[in-house]
Amino acid sequence: MTSGAAFSGDDPRQLLSGTRDLIDQVRRTQRATWFPLLVLAVVTFAALPFRSSPHRLGTCAATEAVRVCTAYPPALLVYWPTALVLAYMVIAAFYIRRSRACGVGTRVQPYVVAGIILALAMTGSLVWTLYHPLAFTLAGPGLLPALHSYPFGIGLALVVLAWAERNGALLDLALGYLTLMLVTATVGSVSGHGGLGFLVQLVIPGSVLLLGGIGFFLAQRPWRRAA
Amino acid sequence: MTSHPANALDDIVHQRVRLGILTIAHEARRVEFSYLRDTLGLTAGNLSQHLGVLEAAGLIAIEKGYAGKRARTWVTLTKAGQAALEDEIAQLKLLISRIEPAGTSPS
Repeated sequence: MTSGAAFSGDDPRQLLSGTRDLIDQVRRTQRATWFPLLVLAVVTFAALPFRSSPHRLGTCAATEAVRVCTAYPPALLVYWPTALVLAYMVIAAFYIRRSRACGVGTRVQPYVVAGIILALAMTGSLVWTLYHPLAFTLAGPGLLPALHSYPFGIGLALVVLAWAERNGALLDLALGYLTLMLVTATVGSVSGHGGLGFLVQLVIPGSVLLLGGIGFFLAQRPWRRAA
Repeated sequence: MTSHPANALDDIVHQRVRLGILTIAHEARRVEFSYLRDTLGLTAGNLSQHLGVLEAAGLIAIEKGYAGKRARTWVTLTKAGQAALEDEIAQLKLLISRIEPAGTSPS
């Protein structure tokens, strides 16, 4: 696609307008938002079998008024950080390969770094919380598990990607996704083993990521850009 | 007497193709020769001339290499190039504000 004809003239307004058009064009070329969303949807859905594995990690603690117990599957605690770190590495490799093919640099580095740091930090925080159950009483039954859920970390990293790609549509999606996670967590308990916790923790975020990925793929597909 | 903002424009940067090259290099961080050529609608020779002017002024850095068997030329903005671009944009905005009375905008 050529914008050389549009970027013409010496009038300051035309020059400024031309630079804005060029900036938009470069940003459209750099964006591949659909790829991380689809990869992370796959990672989220692939966690489903691990969630039903035995909840062996955790402990109980009590005060005079309340007794709180935590339980978490060790398999899931291994799965999430491993899968997320691998996913962010695959995403980085995809963006770098695409950058070489398109001829423009990539802005994915802050996103990948933020995603990996969040995945590792959430693991540490989750392990601490599992062995300090009374922390749950401070934030309510739904909120703390939501903040410690890996899909919530995926959403936070997507905010970084939206900033890096200067992508308003992705920012809207990421904020909507995070709001949905918090709302569903406060409406129903997500720490239980029942259907609602299962739905809130994996199926809803996975579906949002999948639908978002399909939507961005349709909007950013190469044949549309070339048209 | 304050000088007119047009006098502060740098002739090297205040040229639409070179301004376009600096803008793309700034946004892309690193841009390949063919992307610049296609996006700005230039011939390879014409683009090379403009890149030569910008490189001689220290506003861009040019790096040649290979991607597989293909020769590639990558362009990055230098700190001086970044400053020159920011200054040019500021001067253009100042010029527009002088041309247009406050509160009006082009239709």
